[in-house]
Amino acid sequence: MPTHFLIAVLACFFFSATVVAQTSLKLPETIKVVPEALTSEPVCDPIIAASWRDAQEIDGVKIRESRRCNPDNPALIAAVVKGTNNISMATLMETDLSADTIIKEDDIDGDGDPDRITIKLEVMELNGPSPDFEGLIPTFDIAPGIQPGLWVFAPKTRGMSTENFESVRANSLLRLPSPVIRVEVGDTVRLVLENSHYLPHTIHLHGVDHPYAGHGHDGGDGVPQTSESFLLPGGQRVYEFTPRQAGTMLYHCHVQTHTHLAMGLVGMIIVEENRPNNWLQTLNVGAGHVRHPSVAIQEEFDHEYDLHYHAMDKELHEIIQKYNDPRLIARDMNRLYDITDSTEDYYVLNGLSFPYTLRESLIIVEPDQKVKLRVANTASEMLAMHTHGHKATITHYDGIEHNPIAQITRDVYALAAAQRLDLTLNTTDDGLHSYGEGIWLFHDHREKGITNNGMNPGGNVSAIVYKSYLDDIGLPKSQGIDISKYFTEEFHQRKLPVWQDLDASGSLGAAAGQSAPIIDPATRITLIDFIFGLVAGLMLYMLFARREQTKQAMLQVVSKLKGSKGNKAND
Amino acid sequence: MIKYITILFVGMLVINGQVMAAEDAESTDHDAHSGHDMDHGDHMMDDSDHSGHDMDHSDHSGHDMGHGDDHGMAHGDDHMMDDHSDHSMMHPGEDGHASHHGDGHHHMDDSHIMDHEGGMIMGQNFDKLPSSCDSISEEVEITVRAGREYANKFPGTMYAFDEQQWHVKPCAKVTWHFVNEDDIRHQFMMHGLPRYMYQNGMFHLEVTGPRTISGTLIVPATDETYLVHCDISQHMEKGMKAQLVVGNGGEDIPSIPGLTPYAFPDTYLHEDLPQVSNEDDDDSLLTQVDEFVTDNTPFSLIALFGVLIGLLSVPLILKLFSFRKNKVEAE
Ligand SMILES: [Cu+2]
Ligand SMILES: [Cu+2]
Repeated sequence: MPTHFLIAVLACFFFSATVVAQTSLKLPETIKVVPEALTSEPVCDPIIAASWRDAQEIDGVKIRESRRCNPDNPALIAAVVKGTNNISMATLMETDLSADTIIKEDDIDGDGDPDRITIKLEVMELNGPSPDFEGLIPTFDIAPGIQPGLWVFAPKTRGMSTENFESVRANSLLRLPSPVIRVEVGDTVRLVLENSHYLPHTIHLHGVDHPYAGHGHDGGDGVPQTSESFLLPGGQRVYEFTPRQAGTMLYHCHVQTHTHLAMGLVGMIIVEENRPNNWLQTLNVGAGHVRHPSVAIQEEFDHEYDLHYHAMDKELHEIIQKYNDPRLIARDMNRLYDITDSTEDYYVLNGLSFPYTLRESLIIVEPDQKVKLRVANTASEMLAMHTHGHKATITHYDGIEHNPIAQITRDVYALAAAQRLDLTLNTTDDGLHSYGEGIWLFHDHREKGITNNGMNPGGNVSAIVYKSYLDDIGLPKSQGIDISKYFTEEFHQRKLPVWQDLDASGSLGAAAGQSAPIIDPATRITLIDFIFGLVAGLMLYMLFARREQTKQAMLQVVSKLKGSKGNKAND
Repeated sequence: MIKYITILFVGMLVINGQVMAAEDAESTDHDAHSGHDMDHGDHMMDDSDHSGHDMDHSDHSGHDMGHGDDHGMAHGDDHMMDDHSDHSMMHPGEDGHASHHGDGHHHMDDSHIMDHEGGMIMGQNFDKLPSSCDSISEEVEITVRAGREYANKFPGTMYAFDEQQWHVKPCAKVTWHFVNEDDIRHQFMMHGLPRYMYQNGMFHLEVTGPRTISGTLIVPATDETYLVHCDISQHMEKGMKAQLVVGNGGEDIPSIPGLTPYAFPDTYLHEDLPQVSNEDDDDSLLTQVDEFVTDNTPFSLIALFGVLIGLLSVPLILKLFSFRKNKVEAE
């Protein structure tokens, strides 16, 4: 009986040894992920009406052409320029704005534009949890399938938070970044914060001239420890100020700033110089191209772009998705999360990461133009913005003009946390300011900034695109590879081999697994060990249980041996 | 010696058994929750529940679309605008049944009223009888208060309505007075109404507080339970959710504070927060013994307790085993 077991054990070892030997004879084939297996989306979102890209006039508001594939809604621009109190109902209906979001009245200085401006902001959560289903709501993808939990200041909205009843996608006003606000020097601005969120927040005006403390229920510096109390959920506060200095500034929440700012409660606020008939585009939702620039900008520049850079630690943004109870969210946010151990994972330009930056954040130029770029870095680390093919001039630091004769022209622009730079991009092909027409990238030159959680390409990569290099739907006429694979969820989930289409043979594609991968090597070893042990155990048991038989068998064997010996001896 | 080790071992087993039992209970709990398999794409879970009532669209195509009447607003009448004629011109051929992706900039329904302060009434209906009703069964007025204050009685929520459930008769004509007591926007939004008379099956009041807005609708004859909520991001999730029960009602809506359980509840762990020690507890003999034992031996009191139980159960176990052994031998 024991010999049978011995044979079985030996067979096991031989079998596994053969498998290993066989598989190492030939290396596995290259396998390819076919497009049909992917969750892909169109490079340019087809819901955008082509007419949105054209220059047009709505309710007397002139709106500039914007050739990019996702241009801003012209009706929205008209509404924020005239104010929701002055715009036609038909135009207002084409937006998601509430009827009282922007109130423009009283031409105090008699120069043809309103000087008493009320702007209402709400605090909105994106990609938040639900106690009813496992998904997130309302959703906002920074790149295909990437949905970090976010908080934003949003223009006061009406109706549903989602696009419509059937959709979980956020409506068009609920997005990252918090909107760019534009006001004029001398305006009496009433920035109304309606805290529609479930945690306390405030607004701190960073760099904009404002009173230290408000009166009564009004807001001041936005710091709960010094100038005002927390604005609790369900509450409203008015931040009233009359800015005296023009410049590119910031506004952000100052409650638990180390997490609230990173969550997305930060935006650009731009104070424009006072000019007659200066009807400003009070909000630039999603930042990017300014389609109704101020009078002062029109005097000097051909285009104006707002570029808001931000970065996120995904562990922070997951907190609000893990719990529904605000107390548990507050616990993790305020006490368990440690920002000193944090790492940045997502890098966004105007709220989006590559490839979505291609839809919205292209700087579209023509030769011999002067373009105003207002750049803000709200990440907690340094930004090293770099422009391919161009050297731009830094004209302003933190909203203050740099001495004109000392201004620096360069191609890497360093922005500390919360820093703003105004750049003048000159597209004159002189080998210095521009190297000529093309599709020229601009991106963070800290290399992690061009990834989505370490997956390249991604992050804050975008491009300066000359109009001759732009196709009908506002996408760069690519000279290189097909970019559609970046518009799949699988690419960003690391499931799509980056180089599988490099050549016809797929020489750098993915290798197939070994032919006997039913059990992985580690498990196989464990299993063999276990079988060996089991067999040994059984043998011992058998030996013990049938000790009489064994004894006799042994005796027999011994006697046989003895006998044979005896025989031999006899021979 | 072996005997002592055995006793210790049995004692520990008893304790471990308790811990494992607790963990088991928790994990089966989780299994039960994951069993709620819901359509992720459809956050208004009642839609599918009520889809049965929307089947007969074509039968009722003769009915007029319910355009909003412009005399339902309790406040701000001066600013009121009724733009439905305007609006239908803006969207020729649009039937309001938006596709998943489309409709990025066409949001408003045809039947709505909106004022300059952002107050909105949608899906209002004073006189159009649902096809299932012969007449209006009752006329009721219900005041609904909304705000942070009403969340106080439900720990772990932030916004709520003052009631979580209302009952009306089938074919009732209901006038809702929606009182928003906060300084922000809130909504009273109902879903799952017959689509042939309510755009997207919705009735919707919206107002920035502190202010009241009123609107009227007529409910169908079917026994049904309708979701009522505020759709502002995270308001429903953080407590602003209720249900309207018509007649005997249908299936309950989940996750209504104090009324129906959460489909995916949070897990709460004990936190070791500093606390002022309670004098009564300090004096209790058991606490003192526990502290003494914990301070002076490597075992906690509960471990010793486990050992004790183990000790007591050893004779039992031995008896059990010997009994079996005897039985085997007898065979
Ligand atoms: Cu905050
Ligand atoms: Cu609400």
